[in-house]
Amino acid sequence: MAESKLAKSREVSTKKNSSAATSPSDHSSTKAVNSDLSTEPDNTPLGVFLGTFKAARTQWVARQVIIMISLLFRLGVGLGPYSGKSVFPMYGDFEAQRHWMEITYHLPISQWYWYDLQYWGLDYPPATAYHSWVLGWLGSIINSTWFQLDSSRGCEDPNLISYMRMTVIVSDLAVYIPAVSMFIRWKMKSNKLSPFHHSISTAAILLQPSLILIDHGHFQYNSVMLGLALLGFTNILKDKLVIGSLFFVLALAFKQMALYYALPVFAYLLGICIFPRLNLPRFVSLAVSVLIALVGLLAPIALSSGFTLEGIYTQSLQVLIRIFPFARGLWEDKVANFWCAVNTFVKLKTLFSPDYLQRLSLIATLISVLPAFLLILFYPRKKALIWGVSASAWGFFLFSFQVHEKSVLLPLMPVTLQLVGEMDVNIQSYIYWINNVAMFSLFPLLKRDGLVMQYFAIFFLWNWLMSSSKRLPKFILGKLIVVTSYLAIVVLHILEFTIAPPAKYPDLWVVANTMLSFGCFFLFALWNNYILYQTCITKP
Amino acid sequence: MLPALRYATIASVSFKVLLYPAYTSTDFEVHRNWLAITHSRPISQWYYENLSEWTLDYPPFFAYFEWLLSQLAKYVDPAMLVVENLNYHNTATVYFQRSSVIASELVLVYALQHYVKLLPENAHQTAYAISMSILFSPGFLIIDNIHFQYNAMLFGILIFSFVYIRQGKMLTGGVLFAVLLCFKHIFLYLSPAYFVYLLRAYCLDIGSFRLNAPWAAIRVKNCIYLGSSIIAVALIAFGPFIYMGQLPQLLQRLFPFSRGLCHAYWAPNVWALYSAIDRSLFMVFRRFLKNPEYAQSNSSLTRGLVGVTSFSVLPDVHPQTTFLLTAFYQLLSLIPLIITPSFDKFISSLTLCGYASFLFGWHVHEKAILLVIVPFSFLALKDRRYLTPYFLLTVSGYISLFPLIFTSAEAFIKYLYTFTWIFVFYNVFGGLAPVGIARRVFLLDRIAILFLLGFIPLLAFVALYDQVSVLKNYEFLRLMIISTYCSVGIIGSFIGFSWLYFFTS
Repeated sequence: MAESKLAKSREVSTKKNSSAATSPSDHSSTKAVNSDLSTEPDNTPLGVFLGTFKAARTQWVARQVIIMISLLFRLGVGLGPYSGKSVFPMYGDFEAQRHWMEITYHLPISQWYWYDLQYWGLDYPPATAYHSWVLGWLGSIINSTWFQLDSSRGCEDPNLISYMRMTVIVSDLAVYIPAVSMFIRWKMKSNKLSPFHHSISTAAILLQPSLILIDHGHFQYNSVMLGLALLGFTNILKDKLVIGSLFFVLALAFKQMALYYALPVFAYLLGICIFPRLNLPRFVSLAVSVLIALVGLLAPIALSSGFTLEGIYTQSLQVLIRIFPFARGLWEDKVANFWCAVNTFVKLKTLFSPDYLQRLSLIATLISVLPAFLLILFYPRKKALIWGVSASAWGFFLFSFQVHEKSVLLPLMPVTLQLVGEMDVNIQSYIYWINNVAMFSLFPLLKRDGLVMQYFAIFFLWNWLMSSSKRLPKFILGKLIVVTSYLAIVVLHILEFTIAPPAKYPDLWVVANTMLSFGCFFLFALWNNYILYQTCITKP
Repeated sequence: MLPALRYATIASVSFKVLLYPAYTSTDFEVHRNWLAITHSRPISQWYYENLSEWTLDYPPFFAYFEWLLSQLAKYVDPAMLVVENLNYHNTATVYFQRSSVIASELVLVYALQHYVKLLPENAHQTAYAISMSILFSPGFLIIDNIHFQYNAMLFGILIFSFVYIRQGKMLTGGVLFAVLLCFKHIFLYLSPAYFVYLLRAYCLDIGSFRLNAPWAAIRVKNCIYLGSSIIAVALIAFGPFIYMGQLPQLLQRLFPFSRGLCHAYWAPNVWALYSAIDRSLFMVFRRFLKNPEYAQSNSSLTRGLVGVTSFSVLPDVHPQTTFLLTAFYQLLSLIPLIITPSFDKFISSLTLCGYASFLFGWHVHEKAILLVIVPFSFLALKDRRYLTPYFLLTVSGYISLFPLIFTSAEAFIKYLYTFTWIFVFYNVFGGLAPVGIARRVFLLDRIAILFLLGFIPLLAFVALYDQVSVLKNYEFLRLMIISTYCSVGIIGSFIGFSWLYFFTS
């Protein structure tokens, strides 16, 4: 109900502001875009700062400065603690990443997915392992004690921490930032938008708070996977299909979570091979190159215990078992997804067997992503791809098995990309809103890591720079939902810091957090599907 | 507050908040100790208390300021106010002290706002650019927000003071400078320019000078105003201590003359260059002359790192020499000011006073470079010719602060922040500075740019220094390389600026 109304408001506004939705070849709409740009006030703080570089000559300066500043904030967050700091004996994600560098550097490849699995056994696909190997090798050149086999466990040398933090920054610089720039350039070109908007969008995406705090605070390499996936999307959108799908395979091989995106990407590639007419060479070349890439990435590990069929089988199976831990249960911590929300009222884990739950979640996930899959398959349009990707990622996040709260970064990335050149205030406001809710849903995790101050600083900075609070949906129900959830977030934060939860429910605030976040995510996912539907069925 | 300044403040605060967990130097403990002393000791003990080695050695206003802060601190964590809690360093204390620095920076922001508002509308862009360059200065970030001091506040008072003078409110400006001196006496280095300018422009009226009645040129009323208000300021600051008969003790704390020529790390001035030449000659002599005098152990090479310096080859430098040199160059800069007391000349001579004391002074801290950079910033956009010395000064000056931060986590922040600053303001200032009438010497500009680019390999080399095992025996070399190279830049900018001041306009 709410969604249809939200969507109606979107419909109205797209009529008013047809610029973003019409094709770039339409000359009159291009003019409309430009006049829009010149009249749009840039009195947001970011606009004021960028006003300094308004001259065409200095536009490139502005973009470089934005990248530098986004790196500075990453470095600043990196001064803070990280997950599992000084928590004996298992530590946290930081130690996991460090441990993988240690084992990949010191052990033969055949041991990588087998060694002491109880202590942070490698459970990401091969590209992460290779990445770890490179970083372990480089780090060992600087200081060999950082990655000494076994004896380096729990190493917290300040220089090691700086090294690890730098590797995330460098990975960001090498993958994520170029990917974002490439995407924005493509979008700017196809929508004929001004360099000023180029800069604004760059800042909006690069300063996205959740990713900064998880990668550079909590400590992970999500931006590598996200960047690779984005390079995949962008190349596909630029009609470089083979390169695009290869990048996407790389993303999958870096973190299996990229599967969240896989169905729409597959649907799109399949769709453009079938419609408007069957294009068999294209299909064959895509299939062959993807297969070769997958095999090539897996080969060093599969062949590591000899060229026998049995060796290949055991190694590959072990990789799969490690990557997809079906034995671990439906979810781990409190996550703002469907299962965890339902579990608050109905104790799922006691009522049903794990196998049953697994099947249930598989079916639910498939149902939730089916619309996106079918829409993209039958309407393989460029402007629909990113919406489709995010719709599918929301489906996986809300309904699939073994979801972490950090996985919200996956649906968030394509959603945030929609800010590029988006003139519709309604859409902008929902995107800012869901980013803020996602950030809020990460709060329990960040609090555990000791990153509360960083959380508030970055949270504030991004919203303030973009003046997101001034961008509320015009549509009344949408406004109501956004404002109410913001108020609830504020109230929950105040409660969390002032009142201890009752002894009977020690997790009360966390549960409230996940419930609220789940509600917002769910509404947003519905809206996302609706927008996807709209984008697909409107005549180009 | 003006929107642009407000935005800049918010942005910089939200970054500086992230620096709370950063490394803190001994200056953090120094200031915590002062909080404790002023809070839990009677005022008569302030300048005698010596449980911690970091005794109170700033003038009384700063002590009062610490006392004020301690009134807030007691609600945060009373334990930080106990003198005996040496090196007390918990999260609450760090957050409180770091926040107090950020809050005190508002003085600087308001001073800059005062400056911007004073100028006519068509000069606002320039004024904003200058204000931003000071507000976002890597100097304040490194020294105040990481290393830990309250410079931004003090320079805010300085800027307030000369902006009032620019406005024609000489008395207010003079009084504010007196207040500043009672906060931190390092600003004494700038006082000759203040003295001469106030004397010439406020206390004297050369127009009514007559040979038969020279006293007619004295504006008696102004003299009385200025004199009495400065005495009043001094009395508020030092009065209680004079009353308690502690003035000699206080002065001894403020001016410890037992220190060496160069600070632990050589500030990039003339003496750094002098020492570097001495060291090089020493090494050459030791290798080629079989004179036993030079055959001492390596340890003598590192003497530059500890307080007192004596030279191996070149003649030793006495405090009197440095004092005379400083005084000479300061006086030189005052001559044009006496002849035509314009505001620009005043700021120029302030800058030159800063230069002279930094380049030739005794036991100069590298942090004192801000005394030059801040006044210079207000001249940088006069015309294009000023940009070359300005960037020589700022780049060399800020890079010379790098060794203050030696922990790896903050290292990348100092590199990237400074680089971003240079990148932004090089482009912004280059677009704003008006082209002068006089021809520029392009060759010198090119050389200056080459020199600045030289910092890149230099810093890369210094960063990789420890990896080069051949150099392990020459630990001091790392610091010497930076300070020598920076001192060349700063001396170059001094020459360039002096030339502009004395021979053009």
